[in-house]
Amino acid sequence: MKRRDFVKKTAALAAGSVVLPYILPSGSLFAQSNAPLAEHVVYVLFGGGLRQQDSILQRYLSDSQNFNVAGNILYNMLEGAPPASKIAYGTTPSGQPDGIQPIPKILSQTLQKQGTIFAEMRAISGGHYGGLNSLITGSRVEGQGLKVRPVNPTVFEYARRFGGYRATDTWFIGNTIGNSVPLLNSSKHPDFGLTYGANFFAPNVTFGSDGYAALSNAKIYHPQEELEPMYKMKNFLDNSFNIKKGDMPGIRNTDDERTKIKEFIASTFQRQAAGQLPMPPVSGGDGSTIGYAAEVLRVFKPKLLVVNMSNIDGCHGNFTGYLQAMHRADHALGFLWNYIQSIPEMSGKTIMCFVPECGRNLQHNPIIDQNDWYGYDHGDANSLRVFGGMVGPNVQSNLMVGSESNPIGVVTDFNLTIAEILGYKSDVQSAGFIDPNAKSLFDRI
Amino acid sequence: MRIFKFLLISCFLFSFVQCKKDRNTRYEIVETPSYGDNLNKDKDKTNIEFHSILSTNLFQKPSSINELTRTDRVIQSCGDKTLINEVIISNYMNSSQVILPSRKRMVDSTERFVEETYVRFFIRRPTEAEKTWFINFINANKSNPSFRPELVYTAFSASDEYMFY
Repeated sequence: MKRRDFVKKTAALAAGSVVLPYILPSGSLFAQSNAPLAEHVVYVLFGGGLRQQDSILQRYLSDSQNFNVAGNILYNMLEGAPPASKIAYGTTPSGQPDGIQPIPKILSQTLQKQGTIFAEMRAISGGHYGGLNSLITGSRVEGQGLKVRPVNPTVFEYARRFGGYRATDTWFIGNTIGNSVPLLNSSKHPDFGLTYGANFFAPNVTFGSDGYAALSNAKIYHPQEELEPMYKMKNFLDNSFNIKKGDMPGIRNTDDERTKIKEFIASTFQRQAAGQLPMPPVSGGDGSTIGYAAEVLRVFKPKLLVVNMSNIDGCHGNFTGYLQAMHRADHALGFLWNYIQSIPEMSGKTIMCFVPECGRNLQHNPIIDQNDWYGYDHGDANSLRVFGGMVGPNVQSNLMVGSESNPIGVVTDFNLTIAEILGYKSDVQSAGFIDPNAKSLFDRI
Repeated sequence: MRIFKFLLISCFLFSFVQCKKDRNTRYEIVETPSYGDNLNKDKDKTNIEFHSILSTNLFQKPSSINELTRTDRVIQSCGDKTLINEVIISNYMNSSQVILPSRKRMVDSTERFVEETYVRFFIRRPTEAEKTWFINFINANKSNPSFRPELVYTAFSASDEYMFY
């Protein structure tokens, strides 16, 4: 081989090895940057604004309503005895006082006993969208506008680009189509974006009355006789029309994935009608969102599923409703963890992470509810106080990290933590968009 | 005599400047179909625009605003917009109100069917390459009894180009 040919070929090979991983959608040509700790991650945005004093500090009404009644109403998540009096956080049997009946504990052992809790973390934002954005992107949210996709890449895009996952391997289950929640399945970053975005459902709409009217009567086409020629025609038409990357209106699944999702939509309506969906015993609201997330886990066994809750935010004007929503969210979280263990492909191979996007204010607002209890908004320094946790294989059990006087961790840690669990932490760090103060929670222990 | 001559010449000259009948010029329009191409379609339709146009194409009448708003909410609730549009389209196809050409028309007048479909959905004529591809594809699928105009219409309504204007 001539010297010139040798230099040319070597240069081409070197350039190809640098460029190829970035132009292939899977981005998985390189080996994982660290050994994975688990095969699946379920990330619960325990959302809506959870006041530290009323939740992990277990002060119930003593630090909010000036009643000397403390206790733990998150007893699937945390160790601690429930309040002994002023019970208003439960369900309401017919003819009995509001919230009088606590929901029975669903886990045989608390998540705290099974995993690691970070008792005092710091949120990035005291608002919902900023908070959710920081949880999803792992970055600080400067320059982030409302009603636009995140500026920085999301946890889904990292997973798909660096983990090499398909669209149906990553899911975001939102509780609403409001508050820009549907925009959180992908950023608008030019090097990532919708090409690497996650599938998204807001199941209370998709499978609610609107979805029923628009989707439930859909024809199920024969995969070979009907869908195959239809997709051939569609693909021909799409190839004749060069859509620019920035103009993509949504994420893209492969033809096989689309067929599977269509079957999922049809079967979900059928199973809904037959009462076969895996719902928490006490459902509705966030519980229903968790139930649909469980159904997605059952069918797709995704590598990464993120689910958002927000009923807790009723605290602005109804403190009693807030306590009830918090208690139900704990119940739903316990149900989800149990349900994961019932899926053979995910049992023992899944780490579940949970964290609220923000806390709530130290001082109450003037709005009182039916029990004359004051509501709480969010936005002050106290609303940056949150706690988080994780449970599953390779997570140390029965460990509490940090305390009220010793805060450890920021909410942006969760993005790097998930990258470490799935095996591409250094890729995410090298990308350079993560909060510079963030660390994997495994490195905080 | 001189006055008579002067009057005669004046009359002769006036005959050139007298009122004349207006000439009525008519420019007629020759009707020539004019369709664009797909190069300038760079604005995406909103969900409501998309389904308003789609229902007009499929049902020959517009949807109610309630139906459009509901459909808009459902599209927002799903991450893959083309996928959810396909499901909504197949939901429409299950309606007895949908107006589709017959399979016989598609098979017997394939070229015309292809041209009409392009004009209906894309507001443009197919290029020769597009027309040839579709004619060949339809001919190749003649023996498949499940291959119906419904599938062609679904492919067009779910295509990227149909989402832009």
